[in-house]
Parts: sequence; structure tokens; C-alpha cells
Amino acid sequence: MRHFLVMCLFAAMASVVFGAMAKDNARERWLYGLKVFAEFIVIGLVLAWILYFIPW
Amino acid sequence: MVKSERLHAEHVEPTPSGAWLVGVIAWFIPGVGHLMLKKFGRAALMGGVVWFCFFVGLAMGGHMFDLQTGQGSSVWLQVPPMIANIGSGALYLVCWLLNIGFADDPVQAARATYEYGNTFLLIAGLLNYLTMLDAFDIAAGRRS
Repeated sequence: MRHFLVMCLFAAMASVVFGAMAKDNARERWLYGLKVFAEFIVIGLVLAWILYFIPW
Repeated sequence: MVKSERLHAEHVEPTPSGAWLVGVIAWFIPGVGHLMLKKFGRAALMGGVVWFCFFVGLAMGGHMFDLQTGQGSSVWLQVPPMIANIGSGALYLVCWLLNIGFADDPVQAARATYEYGNTFLLIAGLLNYLTMLDAFDIAAGRRS
């Protein structure tokens, strides 16, 4: 559980910066930040499951 | 359109000298570049994230990189993470001068959060490079 929370913290920090500097208005920034956050989490989980089944 | 005509059409405004100063200060002290531009929200968000990641990384027992390997490996392997760490500006410099987070300590390396700490320290520097570029672009008038 701690690993997942640290990953969420990492994703949140990175998405704040990406969102803040990416788009032109506040709504688009929020949406982009949330999208980046979700992508970090989903890709992290997918990679974790792929690595789980690799035996080395 | 021939090249000379295209170059004439794409006239590039010269970068104001103040923008370079803002860029350097934004790198050296995370968040201050945006403060100079009176972008207080961005300064708090982007600079705050860099400071937060840096201190969380240190608290997790993370290790920063310089050119000393201490393990017999190539110096060149140290360069990419060192460049990322240097992005933290004065935070890196102060820790380097005080030897905080640079020692090769096996006890520290055995901590469960050691690698997370490394990652947070690296990402603090890399995010500060983005913050610096954002401040530079605003100061140069390329974005609002």
C-alpha cells in the first residue's frame, strides 16, 4: 500500500507542474493535470503487473 | 518561398536580457523566477512542488549524485543523474557543500524508501528545469 501511495504522490507532484505550464486557461489546466495524473497511475499499474509476471 | 524570404517572414523577436536573468534565478532558487514576474500562483504551485519533492526525497533517505562514484564504476554513469539533481539549483549546492545526501552509506541504502527518495530528488531537479523554462518563456513574452 505504501508503494502505491508514494506512486500517487509522485504522479500528483508531476501532474501539478505539467498542468500548470501546459494549457491556456484554468479549466484546461485542471483537465490536463488530471489526465496526466490518471495516465501516470494507470501506466504505473500496468507496468507493475507486467513486471510481476516476468520471473527475473 | 526561398530560404532567405522565409527567414525574413519568420522574423524572430530578440530575447530580452532580463529573461535570461529570470531563467537563471528561477533555476537557482525554485519558484523565485515566477515571483519576480508576479506570477504568485505559479510560483507557489511549481516552486512548491520542487521544494516538496526535494525534502521528501531527502527524508526518504535518497542519494544525490556527483562525479565521485565510490564504487569503482565509471564516472560517466554519474553524469545523467547528476544533471537531473543539479536542476534543484541552490538546494543541490547547499547539500553538496554540507555533504547532506551525498554519502555512500549502506545503512541508508538499505532503507525501503531509498530508491523512492532517489526518484524524488531526481524529479525535483527535472521539474525545476521545466519551471525555469516556463519562467523564461513568460519573461521573454512568449507566453502569458
